[in-house]
Amino acid sequence: MEDITPDTSRSPIYLTKITTRDLNVYYGEKQALFSVNLEIHENQVTSLIGPSGCGKSTFLRCLNRMNDVIDICRVEGKVTLDGEDIYRAAVDPVQLRARIGMVFQKPNPFPKSIYDNVAYGPKIHGLAASPAELDEIVTTSLERAGLFEEVKDRLDESGTSLSGGQQQRLCIARAIAVEPDVILMDEPCSALDPIATATIEELMEELRENYTIVIVTHSMQQAARVSQRTAFFHLGIVVEEGETAQIFTDPKDPRTRDYITGRFG
Amino acid sequence: MTRIVDPVLDGLRQQILRMGSLAEEILAKSVSAVLKRDAALAREVKIDDLEIDRLDLAVDEAVLRALATQAPVADDLRGVIAIKMMATDLERVGDLARNIAKSALRLCERPEVETPEKLRILADEARRLLRNALDSFSSHDAERAAHVLDDDDQVDRDQDEVIQAAIQKIALHPELTSPEVDFILIAKNLERVADHATNIAEDVIMVTEARNVKHASKLAGSESDEQGH
Repeated sequence: MEDITPDTSRSPIYLTKITTRDLNVYYGEKQALFSVNLEIHENQVTSLIGPSGCGKSTFLRCLNRMNDVIDICRVEGKVTLDGEDIYRAAVDPVQLRARIGMVFQKPNPFPKSIYDNVAYGPKIHGLAASPAELDEIVTTSLERAGLFEEVKDRLDESGTSLSGGQQQRLCIARAIAVEPDVILMDEPCSALDPIATATIEELMEELRENYTIVIVTHSMQQAARVSQRTAFFHLGIVVEEGETAQIFTDPKDPRTRDYITGRFG
Repeated sequence: MTRIVDPVLDGLRQQILRMGSLAEEILAKSVSAVLKRDAALAREVKIDDLEIDRLDLAVDEAVLRALATQAPVADDLRGVIAIKMMATDLERVGDLARNIAKSALRLCERPEVETPEKLRILADEARRLLRNALDSFSSHDAERAAHVLDDDDQVDRDQDEVIQAAIQKIALHPELTSPEVDFILIAKNLERVADHATNIAEDVIMVTEARNVKHASKLAGSESDEQGH
């Protein structure tokens, strides 16, 4: 009988979580992204790298329609999550942002208790049927964000009382609490010291077991350490995209090589 | 624009080129010691080899420092890794030249016998391959490096011929066993020099074209063997 077992030894199987097709973004008259086609693989960390103003944060914000809140911003093209167009009129952006959470450059906890920071999302999305269930969500989210042990005895203290690294993990716990599929991170470690950065990076490696992560970073070493795939943006286009190890050892495009080796400019 | 990493990489390249030129020199000296029956020259090889060892240690340290402080990527990273591997190969060439010099000393202590012509040819070939490999490195020339890989087969054949001739000579003239064994040892050392030249050429291809061609023919052969079964 013919052996139909697929040969997975050379190309690991992955599923595409997010796809963008001919994505163009304009801020008024100015075009920020030019026909971006990119696939984000499920349960992998994808790094978006490139010089300031190259469009990587604009691209990130397109993935959960954060650009909708900018009046002059216009998005053309297609972005699909699990095959469904997220820019369809029927899609509620608030619900979408629960499925595709975001962690920002500067930790931004609400001026509320640690508990409430995490409980807020599940409450407004009606994810907990009882106070006990809410407690469970808060605990699990803090555990997954690697913060529970550090804050379990002071859940009623203000989230802003935590250190920078802890605040960032609190924001990750807050994003996780609403059961997202994808977590977008916009330079999540740029305001953190090396130890807090290492903690967040280790956390990313653990989180990708359950979530798909897209991270914008200016640190080449961070991209190399944490991600499985990397996309290099320049002047609003994706110059090169591929496995991180390939991008950092054998970039195919000279512009990628010039950027990651510091020859740019 | 000069990057901070550029002088670091230039420094490493200079160290390798210095090592390469010393390795060429010491190899030439050891071969001359054999051909000219020059014991003094053979003894110099031992001292010269120490300088290659010192350079090897210096390259180790500089490579570690470059990796730790510059975190090189892409062609810079491949360049640093290649330099580390080349230093190892050149240090081995120094050791092989020393082995040849030891044979030269033994040959000098015995009555003179005719040096096989094929051994002279083999020595010229091994030296030429090492020079071409180092030139391909200094000129970033992958094509020239590829020629080194091609030429290595001829060195293997020359070595086999020297060994076969020596074995026949020993059978006919057992009193010549000692010098003929030394010719065999010299041939084997020269063949190993060519192998190290080949390694260096492979590193040059890895740096310039991001292609790892090591063991390429051997692995291709084993894959076709596996498919055949």
